[in-house]
Amino acid sequence: MRLERIGREPEYSRYMDLKEGWLDRRIFSDAEIYEEELYRIFARSWLFVAHESQLPNAGDFLTTHMGEDGVIVTRQPDGSIKVFLNSCPHRGNKVCFADAGNTRRFVCNYHGWAFDTAGELKGMHEEYCYDDGDIDRRKNGLKQVAKVSSYKGLVFATFADDLPSLDAWLGDFRWYLDMILDNEDGGTELIGGCIKTVMNANWKFGVENFIGDAYHAGWTHDSGCRSMNNGQPFPPIDMENSYHASVNGHGWEFGTEGVGDLFLLGRPKVLDYYNKIRPKMAERLGEMRSQIFGSVASASIFPNVSFLPGISTFRQWQPKGPMQFELKTWVIVNKAMPDDIKDEVTKGVMQTFGPGGTFEMDDGENWENCTTVNRGVVTRHEKLHYRCGISRQIEHDTLPGIVYRGQYNDANQRGFYQRWLDMMEAKSLGALPLRPEPRLTGVAETRDLPGLFAL
Amino acid sequence: MTQTATLERPLSGRIASLELTHALTQTLYREARLLDDEDFAGWVKMLAEDLHYHMPGIETRYRRDKTNQISDLTRMAYYNDNLDEIKKRLSRLETGTAWSEDPATRYTHIITNVEVEYTETDGEYRVFSNFYAYRNRNERDEDSLVGNRVDIWRETGGAFQLVRRRIILKHNVMLSKNMNIYL
Repeated sequence: MRLERIGREPEYSRYMDLKEGWLDRRIFSDAEIYEEELYRIFARSWLFVAHESQLPNAGDFLTTHMGEDGVIVTRQPDGSIKVFLNSCPHRGNKVCFADAGNTRRFVCNYHGWAFDTAGELKGMHEEYCYDDGDIDRRKNGLKQVAKVSSYKGLVFATFADDLPSLDAWLGDFRWYLDMILDNEDGGTELIGGCIKTVMNANWKFGVENFIGDAYHAGWTHDSGCRSMNNGQPFPPIDMENSYHASVNGHGWEFGTEGVGDLFLLGRPKVLDYYNKIRPKMAERLGEMRSQIFGSVASASIFPNVSFLPGISTFRQWQPKGPMQFELKTWVIVNKAMPDDIKDEVTKGVMQTFGPGGTFEMDDGENWENCTTVNRGVVTRHEKLHYRCGISRQIEHDTLPGIVYRGQYNDANQRGFYQRWLDMMEAKSLGALPLRPEPRLTGVAETRDLPGLFAL
Repeated sequence: MTQTATLERPLSGRIASLELTHALTQTLYREARLLDDEDFAGWVKMLAEDLHYHMPGIETRYRRDKTNQISDLTRMAYYNDNLDEIKKRLSRLETGTAWSEDPATRYTHIITNVEVEYTETDGEYRVFSNFYAYRNRNERDEDSLVGNRVDIWRETGGAFQLVRRRIILKHNVMLSKNMNIYL
């Protein structure tokens, strides 16, 4: 699918200098740049559309957005997953109005065009009105995405047929993703339901906050931390043994103390649970990853998914214009957890990172005001400072990716905006640079790869 | 000990006396005033030790879909709290570092459509009500939250305490950035 727009030269590099460490604020507010993001990033990236656990049975579906394009995600009778536009090819009306459910057909309310769960046109109201040659049913199904692929339960789709594989897209970030997706037999699932909120903020502020901004936590969330833990302040950060790791614009910032995020969740039973399975996690993922998991950490998958390993909020920042996003939130748990632990995790997430959560409540106002101040023409031409820790890059024997020492750092944010720039300027997706060259090869399961487990 | 009354309405709940209905209506108004005034210490005194305060997240689903979105407590919820958990949330305001509460949010709770019924448990009453909660903060940040509630209130020592509350917000996408409010 080609969605190139004629007459627009890629010149986005003038909006940032990541070696110097600054960004131009217009990328957070300008309507034209936002429109180009929809074309160049959201229509050309692998985008999270579902967790496999949300669609356990044939006919299960959910609706979501890829950029601002509404899509339906369905489980097929053969177990595969299809993703297609939620828009009838006849007059364009939405064909599905539910968030989720199970069905055999999607029938358009306007003229009764009926599509099966694969998106194929199966019939229409008063079909006799079409003469021979008027309509080819096979060409009038719901528009399919170019590709669907999944990684350990997370289902992604893309509109770009020339985009390299999901494994290549995630690259060595899979080494990190396994800490949340594969830390115990059985993998993960999302708790039922989805809570959605709206913030008058640019979508990138949410992503960059989770990708690397440990720095805000101890200040913005002092009240949240104290409320969840009997007045105790944020756990101290060990700048020597904590890191930023960036791979292809994805990022994970983390300590290695093993308990920080679990402490912030404020549910002792969940901390006990992970401490109990930690030796097995070490056998499975290696000693280092078993120590990273549960530490103060946060992560984002480029372009718009974030989560907190240990706290277990899982979320997607859906763009709704340059100055608005919709935040979809779920709770991610291990399938193998007993029900009472799943309940503890769910309650803990909603009390910290639900809309009424003691942490969440202090984030939105920051992001909204970081965005809306740029209505001012003078303000929007001011640069923003992204230079923290710019000289702390290291080579690490165990940790893949572009690694910086010290959890208080803008490194992952710079990595994210580098990828943003790559995507905004790329003429050919096959030529996207690898940031960095991967250590892992092929599609081998990252937890089975040798040589990566030494502490 | 007798079983606490449930929120699920029997086929015909017996309407409470005028006097009781008046007393509980006034109780709801007083609660709303305490919340508007951010008098959370006063509000907590109106909550029973065995409180369950529940506000499920409701997805848009087709009528034929029988998923129990209302009372399945394993699903995502804005609130699914006992008294200690409510107190934890409230303790954030005592820290002095809840930056997004300073300046304060301005609240008005409007409570209407109050119905009071006797329950199968003596001294416990099922109370239905609707709410319109308006929030405004800083310069022009505003939103409205509208929905229904069903409560169980228990009479103890001449006062009423909230034992159960289920809140059904009518939003699908909550059209604001947070839920820094109790409904």
